[in-house]
Amino acid sequence: MYWEKELETLPEKELRQLQVNRLNITLAHARRSPFYGELFGRNGNHPESVNDVKGIESLPFTVKQQLRDHFPYGFLTLPQKEIIRLHSSSGTTGNPTVIFHNRHDIDSWANLMARSLFCAGVRDTDVFQNIVGYGLFTGGLGFQYGIEKLGALSIPAGAGNSLRQIKLMRDYGTTAIHAIPSYLTRLYDVFREEHLNPQKDTRLRLLCIGAEPHTEEQRQRIQEMFGVKAYNSFGLSEMNGPGVAFECEYQNGLHIWEDAFLVEIVNPDTLQPVPDGEFGELVMTTLDRQANPLIRYRTRDITRIIPGACPCGRTHRRIDRITGRTDDMFILKGCNIFPMQIEGVLMKIPEVGTDYRITLETVSDQDTMVIDVEIKKDCFRGDLAFLDKLQKRLTHLIRDEVLVTPVIRLVEPGSLPKAEGKAVRVYDTRKR
Amino acid sequence: MAYQVSVFLENKIGHMERITAVLKAAGINILTMNLNHTTGGWGIVNLLVDQPELAYGQLSDAGISAALRRIVVLPMEDKPGSLDGLLRKIAGAGINFTTAYGRSGRGTAWFVVDTEDIPDAETILKSAGLEILPDETVYTLD
Repeated sequence: MYWEKELETLPEKELRQLQVNRLNITLAHARRSPFYGELFGRNGNHPESVNDVKGIESLPFTVKQQLRDHFPYGFLTLPQKEIIRLHSSSGTTGNPTVIFHNRHDIDSWANLMARSLFCAGVRDTDVFQNIVGYGLFTGGLGFQYGIEKLGALSIPAGAGNSLRQIKLMRDYGTTAIHAIPSYLTRLYDVFREEHLNPQKDTRLRLLCIGAEPHTEEQRQRIQEMFGVKAYNSFGLSEMNGPGVAFECEYQNGLHIWEDAFLVEIVNPDTLQPVPDGEFGELVMTTLDRQANPLIRYRTRDITRIIPGACPCGRTHRRIDRITGRTDDMFILKGCNIFPMQIEGVLMKIPEVGTDYRITLETVSDQDTMVIDVEIKKDCFRGDLAFLDKLQKRLTHLIRDEVLVTPVIRLVEPGSLPKAEGKAVRVYDTRKR
Repeated sequence: MAYQVSVFLENKIGHMERITAVLKAAGINILTMNLNHTTGGWGIVNLLVDQPELAYGQLSDAGISAALRRIVVLPMEDKPGSLDGLLRKIAGAGINFTTAYGRSGRGTAWFVVDTEDIPDAETILKSAGLEILPDETVYTLD
């Protein structure tokens, strides 16, 4: 049932003590990096060690801009000789963010990834096709090492080329897949175009989806398409990549591996902790990383701790699916709007297809939100009245959700540009 | 029962060609058609073609939103006042329609009415004394 029974079911009190021990080791490592050495050295108020997990609140936060400002080696604690891999962001806007790993870090990450996959039900008898980009993107190698550690047969398929993906799945009897959710809906379309049904023509038994925020409704749709469960994977490159938190068989939140990460949820405005159950910004501290520890890193992801115990028996707490990022929220006519709210409404409507696009425009000095919505081919009845009604219904439902009246444009299926990699959902063309 | 093919169409350059390219490849002939649009930036193109089932299948396979909709085709003499007379009879039968279009040939003209959402349209129109073109002639208008 468990990859590491003792660790995964460690009683609360012992888990917190383990965190304190590992936090103090991490703080010692961190001080060896130029950035934390300077930060903790300059300001004598920062304790060298803490007695309980609450003690972390006396330490300063780390933000993405600091990673960029101290690029490339400012957070590195070890001589370069000890480092065996780096992963970095594309850095299209300024310096990239880069994370270095020594052998211990890579092993630790591979183990967390194997634990995550096992938690979702992957076993060494599975044939696992990893349909994401390899290279600097952490979803490729991160899963690869985890699949190998777990002992399943890995197919490092990489992203794209849907016909080849389908051929691989059929040739080798793929039973499990990892992909981003928007790609799986695209892959399903290709199955259909080839007159194939993934439920009959493959041996799939589970999916792992992640690396892209998505709603429960989107997950339900993917599960209906492929006829198997889709388990939510959460990670971010600053915290290795995937393998940070994963769903178990109960699909009721993502167990965040608390032996490897110390988790806080704070109010993004006041930076004060919020009680369990309340949404806020996820703040994380690495507890098992030597080369590139991060202390109180503000992830900008919005989630909450789900109160209560999980029936699976794991004691590591669960976070809710990411409802958005503090930086993908947009403000329109004074209302705070997360794209996920809009996706949530759209995906509940059976006539709506898989793609949508939100464009913020200035029309005669008025900011407006235009939403292009794909209609499903099979739902089309050929009359204007039906489409008219659908458009009005969507307008009302979205207005009720976000308190701004959108302009809904119905578009032909497949006419929205498909993103390579993560789907881009919001285009802001407003005049500033 | 005769059918037209109704196709969802965004009001954008090049989009209607996506439809006609499919019809061309399948060797389908368009007998008459109409095109409308809404303020939402989209509309519907209604096509009376020689092989509606084939057209529908080919369009759907190409990923285009299409539907088969029931129609009646009402013939009349191709001269001034014919349509007026025809419409009076339709109105007299209490039939209200939202989509219709026409075509004229050698001495004869035809009025195509979308009856998908009008229950018993054919029976009512027939009992009002209107001639309805039999299915086999609808697809060979000449």
